[in-house]
Parts: sequence; structure tokens; C-alpha cells
Amino acid sequence: MKSIQARLSLGLIAALVVIGLALAQLTLWLFEAGLQRYLETGLRKESENLLVALVKGPNGIQLDERRVSAAYQRPFSGYYFRIDFEQTAPSRAVPEPVTWRSRSLWDLDMPKPDSTGLESGYKLGPEGQELLAFRADYRRLGKDISISVAQDYSPVRDGFRRMQQIGLGLGVVALLLILVLQRITVTRSLRPLERARQQIAQLQQGQRSQLDARVPSELEPLVAQINHLLAHTEDSLRRSRNALGNLGHALKTPLAVLLSLASSERLEGLPEVRAQLREQLEQIQQRLTRELNRARLAGDALPGAQFDCDAELPGLLATLAMIHGEGLLLEHDVPPSLLLPWDREDLLELLGNLLDNACKWADSEVRLGIAPTVEGFHLWVDDDGPGIPETARQQVLERGSRLDEQVDGHGLGLGIVRDIVDAWGGRLALQESPLGGLRVSLSLPRRALIDAAESS
Amino acid sequence: MRLLLVEDNVPLADELTASLQRQGYAVDWLADGRDAVHQGQSEPYDLIILDLGLPGLPGLEVLAQWRAAGLATPVLILTARGSWAERIEGLKAGADDYLGKPFHPEELQLRIQALLRRARGLANQPMLEAAGLHLDEGRQCVTRDGVDIQLTAAEFRLLRYFMLHPGQILSKSHLAEHLYDGETERDSNVLEVHVNHLRRKLGRSVIETRRGQGYRYAGNSA
Repeated sequence: MKSIQARLSLGLIAALVVIGLALAQLTLWLFEAGLQRYLETGLRKESENLLVALVKGPNGIQLDERRVSAAYQRPFSGYYFRIDFEQTAPSRAVPEPVTWRSRSLWDLDMPKPDSTGLESGYKLGPEGQELLAFRADYRRLGKDISISVAQDYSPVRDGFRRMQQIGLGLGVVALLLILVLQRITVTRSLRPLERARQQIAQLQQGQRSQLDARVPSELEPLVAQINHLLAHTEDSLRRSRNALGNLGHALKTPLAVLLSLASSERLEGLPEVRAQLREQLEQIQQRLTRELNRARLAGDALPGAQFDCDAELPGLLATLAMIHGEGLLLEHDVPPSLLLPWDREDLLELLGNLLDNACKWADSEVRLGIAPTVEGFHLWVDDDGPGIPETARQQVLERGSRLDEQVDGHGLGLGIVRDIVDAWGGRLALQESPLGGLRVSLSLPRRALIDAAESS
Repeated sequence: MRLLLVEDNVPLADELTASLQRQGYAVDWLADGRDAVHQGQSEPYDLIILDLGLPGLPGLEVLAQWRAAGLATPVLILTARGSWAERIEGLKAGADDYLGKPFHPEELQLRIQALLRRARGLANQPMLEAAGLHLDEGRQCVTRDGVDIQLTAAEFRLLRYFMLHPGQILSKSHLAEHLYDGETERDSNVLEVHVNHLRRKLGRSVIETRRGQGYRYAGNSA
């Protein structure tokens, strides 16, 4: 898709070139026509002068040289005439055509224009002079006299050509100037669009949660709609989380009653009933917990989501320290002011479960690390507990993956962690920790939306 | 040990009260958050079990008001909303532990034991140990020099309280406040009888009498 800028430039250039050329040509043509009319009056006057210079001499009509302009005497001066009439020579009886040519023509012949009036386009002489000729027919001294006057038009032509070149150059400069100005104007007026584009990119990276609403009126509906959608998504998510919380609450409290009943002494005499009851209730509980947790995941629904490590991690670690006692060393290796582009509750759930697990198994130390990588983020949780032998790791992962086999609190309790990692398109691996125990390693890709925005 | 249970679900509260009483705790039960704010501050509880979804006033708000008023009693939050985000919120508000519903009654019992010991600065181990005596809270019996000695429920409650406060002088009224719930008639003579029973079973020196002040647990070492 071409950019708006390129389209505008192309359209503008085409329009300017077509209109500019047409206008320039028309102007030149009109100017030339005007000039020729002006020259025509000059030539008419010349022809009239020549007519006046014709006098009656002893041998019929003669040209009074004194009255003829000197320019007609100098060869190839650019001013020429020819006078055609019929005269009867004294020796002859029949009148014969006579042609007088100006001396400036030298030995060249200037053709007589076919009709009276202005005519252009004659080429003449070694210098290739272009002539503008004017012919007028008179009657004088009882004879039909046709006087043709011509003037060298080449300097004017050359002048026009030069003017055309200068005009073309000026036109090109003007075009460039207009393009530059247009580019500046367009860039300025498209700046809100560019800003919106950057804000959308920021939105996807989780650096903002709304688009700036102060935009030109053309963009307002778009931005308002995007903001509305964002608010709507966030609102729906909150409502569905709330509803799930209520559902969970509604189901879990009776379950707690039943579990409590199952262990009460009223069932002391019925150990089988008790065992059955507890087993079934436990299954319901696990299923419920897992499904509720899964349904609560925001996943990729919120583009503006972000997790501020500096703000959230201390609270989480303090909570874990409180739950697992003060004796445990909880360290974290996270770059300062790191922002992760995922929903806060999802990430807390992920880290909480991972760290809780590690704390359950650790002897004295648990370490959390987060580092940005090229594809996204790398998270790892180390403990110095017994670890899991390499051969059993795959089995543990598989056990966590099947819902009915997932055992809460035993094994690794990785179920919800796996759900979250899957929802984000990440990978989970169990490795040997440098602390001696288990390392749970997660590689989480940046969200696909961001990739698309950044590569475009 | 006297506990306050704040839980609006009546069947669960009944079950919990019964099971906690079996474990030798004196339990007061409240269902409304507003009552809990008041009673939690006015009665000398050793531990409070607080549900978060309460009518009247949300549990977190109740907790925040207690902490703002300087109440240091350990609080165990009981809630169906078990996400980590909510857990962190609860502990930030001043809770000492967090138990998600549904739970096994044994889990609750262990958490209560652990919290009570932690509040007294004792290590969290299966047996409560103080000055030569080992108290098994699960079986409600005491071990001295490797010999198990059976206790009645009342004796167990009394001895546990002494063992959680070793070396401290405890007045009769203090003991009565912490061993009986709000509805039991408090008769100091009954306490004397139980102290005498304990002395008979464990030796006279286990509990010293400080005239005009109260009792003091001295254990087997004295």
C-alpha cells in the first residue's frame, strides 16, 4: 500500500506539469501573435513608405533612392522588399512584369507572398534568416503595384526560444519548490496520523492503555472507537473475572463445608464413605480451581496490558516470604524498571505459582530471573531443593498437562503455569539449576501483534 | 487459645466452629464485617480467621481498619478468591496467612498452629516443645521423658496456652479470657481445678503459683 504522501506528490506533479505546460504554451502563442500584429503595422508603414518613394521618372516609374531606408541597401541587413508591377518599356508595346528587389537581398530571390497580408516562414540566405513578410497591393500612378516587405524574424524567434528555456527552467524550479512545500505541509498535516500509529505501537508494547484523544476532527471517530473498544475489552474482562470470582466463591464455600463435613467425626464409623467422599470432593476442587484459573486468563485480549516488575515483584516476594517463613532466601535478578507486556494478574499468577512451587521444594534459596531477549523474555526460577532427575522431567511435564492427572501441591503443580505459557505461545522447560535443584525455564515471545507493527 | 471466626456462610461456620472446638480452641463466631471490626479490637483474641466476602464491610476493609487501629493479632484470611493478585493484596492489607477455599480441615489446623507459634516467636515443628515437655496437638497428649500422658480437653487447652507462653506470669482472668469463648461462664475455680489436675499428672513444679499475680509455666526443668 502506497503512502498517502507518495500519492499526494504524484497527483500534484501530474496536475502541475499538465497545467503548467498548457499555460506556458498558450502564453507564448498569445504573445507571439501580439508581437506579429505589432510587427505587421511596422511592415505596413514600411510598404507605405516604399509606395511614396515610387515616383514618376522619365522611363516610367522610378524608385527614389533617397527616400528608401538605408537598411535596404546593406546586404543581408534583415530588411528586404520587392516591388512587382507591370510596365511597358519604351521599346516594347506590351507591358511586361517588372520586379524590383532591395539591394539588401543581394543575389538572392525573395519569393512574392501568395496573398496580401502577413506571412511567415520564409527561409533566406546563407545565414538562414527567417523572414516575416508583408504584402500589400496598391494602385499608384495608374498601375497595380504589389509591394512586399520582409523583416528578419530570427532574433525574435531566438528570443522566444530563450524565453521558453528560461520559462521551463523556472517551471522546474517552481515545481520542486511546490513539491518541497507540499511535502512539508502534508507531513505536518499527517503528523496526527503518525502519532496515532506510534501510540498504537506503544499500546501493543504495553506502554500505554489508551490513545491520546486530542486529535484532528477527521481522526476523532477512529481514535474514539479504538479507545472505546479498549475500554470495552477491559471492562468485559473485568466483568467476566468478577463473575468467575463470584461463581468460584459460590461453589468453593459449599465445597469447603463438604470437605469439612467429610472429615468430621460423624463419619468416623464409615471410613469407606469418608474416603470416597474426600476423593470425589478433591477431584471437583482441582477441576474447579484449574478451570477457573484458566478462564480468568486475560491472554492476549488486552493490548495495553503491562506488568511493572519494580512495582509488583517486591509485594509478591514478600507474600511468598510470609507464606514460606523467613528462613528462605528469596532473590531476584531482574533489570531495573523492566516492563513486561502481559496482564498483571496473569503474570502474578504465573510467577506466584512458579515461586510457590520452588519455595516448597527449596532448602534455603530460591532465585527468580527475568531477562529480555531478542524474541521476547526469558524467565527462570531456581531452587536448591532435591531437583528432578533428567529422566523424570518429561514425565512431570506430561503429568502437569493432563487435567485429570494434575495434582495440586504435589509434583510440580505446573498446570496453571502451563496454561498461561500456552496462552502466550511460550515454552516451558525443566533444567538443572546452578543452585543444585530444579530450574524452571520459560521463554516467552513478544506478542505477535507487536512483531507485525514493528516489522511494517 | 481463643479464636475469632468471621465467616458469613453459616454451614461452613458451624463446621469450622465444631472442628476448631474439637481441637481445643475457644471460638467466637461473627458473620458481619461491621461487628467484626468492633469485636476484634475489644476482645483479646489470639488469632482471627477472616473471610473476605463479608456482608456489611468487605474483609479486606475490616483487616485494614484493625491494622490501622494497631491490632497486632495474627489474621488468617480465608477466601474463595485465591488468585495471587488477591493474595498479595490481602497480605499487603496486613494478613499473616492466606488459605484458599475449599481447604482440608487439617490444612486449616496446621496453619493455625503455625501462626500461633510464629506469633510467639517459636519454631514451626510438629510438636510444641517448652521446657522439657512435648505437646502433640494432633493427639492432644503430652510427652515427658519419653512417656505419653493423656490429657482431657480442658487440660490440653490450658497446657497449650501455658506452653505457648513459657515463663510468663498469667493471671486467672487473662487465662479465662483466652481459654473460653464469649458465651461461656467464666469461673476461676474451674481454672484452679484444671491447674491442679495438670500438676497431678505432670508434677507440682510444672506450673508455679505466684500469689496475687497468677500462674507461671516452669515446665519439667524447674
